[in-house]
Amino acid sequence: MKKTFPLILVFVFGILGIIPFFVPHPFIQNSDEFLRNEFLRILAAFALVLGLGSLLRVHIDKIKRKRENWQYSWILIITFVISSVIGLFGGVRGTGILPTTIGTFQFDIWTIYWNVAVPLGSTMFALLAFFMASAAYRAFRVRSTEATLLLAAAFIVMIGVLPLGDRVSPHLPSFAQWIMDVPNVAGQRGILFGVALGVLATALKIILGIERSWLGGGGK
Amino acid sequence: MKILDILNNIDRRIIYLILLTVVVLPLIFPSVEKVRVMPPVRKLYEAIDNIPPEKGLIIDFDYEPQTAPELDPMSFAILRHAFHRRIKLLVLSLYVQPLGLAQNALTQVVEEFNSAAQTSEDSIIYGRDYVFLGWVPPPIIPILGMAESITNVYRVDYYGNQTDTLPLMAQIENYNDIDLLVSISGADPPKWWVAYAQSRFGLRVGAGITAVSASEFYPYLQTGQFSGMLVGMKGAAEYEEMVERKLEVKARRKASEALLSLTYAHLVIIIFIVIGNIGYFIRRRDRRKQ
Repeated sequence: MKKTFPLILVFVFGILGIIPFFVPHPFIQNSDEFLRNEFLRILAAFALVLGLGSLLRVHIDKIKRKRENWQYSWILIITFVISSVIGLFGGVRGTGILPTTIGTFQFDIWTIYWNVAVPLGSTMFALLAFFMASAAYRAFRVRSTEATLLLAAAFIVMIGVLPLGDRVSPHLPSFAQWIMDVPNVAGQRGILFGVALGVLATALKIILGIERSWLGGGGK
Repeated sequence: MKILDILNNIDRRIIYLILLTVVVLPLIFPSVEKVRVMPPVRKLYEAIDNIPPEKGLIIDFDYEPQTAPELDPMSFAILRHAFHRRIKLLVLSLYVQPLGLAQNALTQVVEEFNSAAQTSEDSIIYGRDYVFLGWVPPPIIPILGMAESITNVYRVDYYGNQTDTLPLMAQIENYNDIDLLVSISGADPPKWWVAYAQSRFGLRVGAGITAVSASEFYPYLQTGQFSGMLVGMKGAAEYEEMVERKLEVKARRKASEALLSLTYAHLVIIIFIVIGNIGYFIRRRDRRKQ
C-alpha cells in the first residue's frame, strides 16, 4: 500500500493532466479548472512547507555530520530564521507586529532585499565576467577544426552584436544574426527534440509506473 | 623565450584589473551608443505597438538582481512604450524575488510620466491604467488559471487591494482580453508561457532574455511562437532606440550607455584569447622543431 497508493495517485493525476488538452467537453474542462485553480494551489502550499522542511533537514544533517563546508549551512539556517521571522511578523515594509526599526536602522524585508539580496546577487553574477575572461585566455585554444570554427563564430557574434560590428562592416551584424538564426537554431532544435522525446518517455514511464525510482529504494 | 613566457602566463589579476578598468570607465563617463535595430526587436516593438485599444498587455517580470543590469533596461523601455500608448497593462511575476525590481521599475516609469502630466487624463493612474498583480505560487497556477479568470487567480494585487474592485480589471477578464504577454527573464519562464498559455489558449508571447541564454530561445522566435525577442544589453538598447526615435520619449537610456563597457569588455576578452593562442602556437612550433 505504501508504494501502490502513490503509484495510483501519479497515474490518475498524470492522466487527468493530459486529457483536458485533447477533450473540450465542459465536464472535463470544468474539472480541470477546479484542479488547476483550487486543488493545485492547496497542494502547492503543502509542497512549500515540505520543501522548506527538507531544506532545513538537509543542512542540519550536514552540520551534525560535519560534511564539507558545513559552516555555510549555519549561515543558511540563521539567515533563513531571521528573514522568516522578520517577514512573518514584521511585514514587507515593517508594518507588522514586530518592530523593524532601531533608531534610524531599518531591517524590514524591503530594506533587506535592496541592501543585501540585490547587491549580493549582482556581485555574484558580476564575478562571472572576470572568471570568463581568465578562463577564455587560458583554455580557448585553436586545437582542431571544430575549435577554430567555434572561435570564429564566437568572435563574429561577440563583435557583430555590438555597435562596433556595424563600424567594422555593415554586413557583420546581419552575419552575426544569421549565425544565431540558422546554424544555432539547427543545433538547438536537435537538442530540443532530443530533450522533449526524453522528457515524454520519462513522463510516460512515471505515469505508467514503469519508472519507480522517485518512490525511493532504488526502483525496487 | 621571455616574450613567450609572458604571453602564456599573464597573471589573472592583471586580466581582472584590465577588464575592471574597461568596464568601469565608460560607466563613469557614459555616452549613448547608436545601434542598428535588428528584426527580433522590431517585431516585438511592432507587436506591442499594434495592440488594439480594447486589449491588454501583460509584462511578466521574472528576473532577479543578478540579471537586472541586462534586463531592467528592457523593462523600463517596454513600460515607457506601453504607458505612452496607453495600453492596458498588467504586471506580474512568477517568483517572489523579482517583485521588488518590478515595483521599482513601475514606480520610476510612472513617476517619469506623471511628472510631465498636466491633467488626470495625462497621468498614469494605478487601477485605471495598470495593475500590479504580484505573485501567486507555483508558476503553473497563474499561467493556466488566468485563462479562466485573472481576478480568480490574483484575488488581491501586490498592494493588497481586491482586484475585482479595480476599474481596469472590469475590462480584463482572462486571456481573451490580452493581446500579448512579454516575459522578461533570465531563465525558462518564456518557454513555460509558450508551452502552457500559448499552446492551449493561443496567448501571444514575446520575450526579453539575457545574452548568455539567447541561443536556446532562437528556435521559438523562428517558429513564430515568440512574437519578438530582446536579447541582452544590445536588445534593450535597440528597444530604447525605437522608443526614443518613434515615440520621442526622452529618458535615460541605461542599456545604450552600457554598450561601450560591453564593447570594450568583449574586445579585451577577444584580445586575451588571441594572445593565449599566439603563445600556444609558438610553443607548439618550438616543440615540433625539437
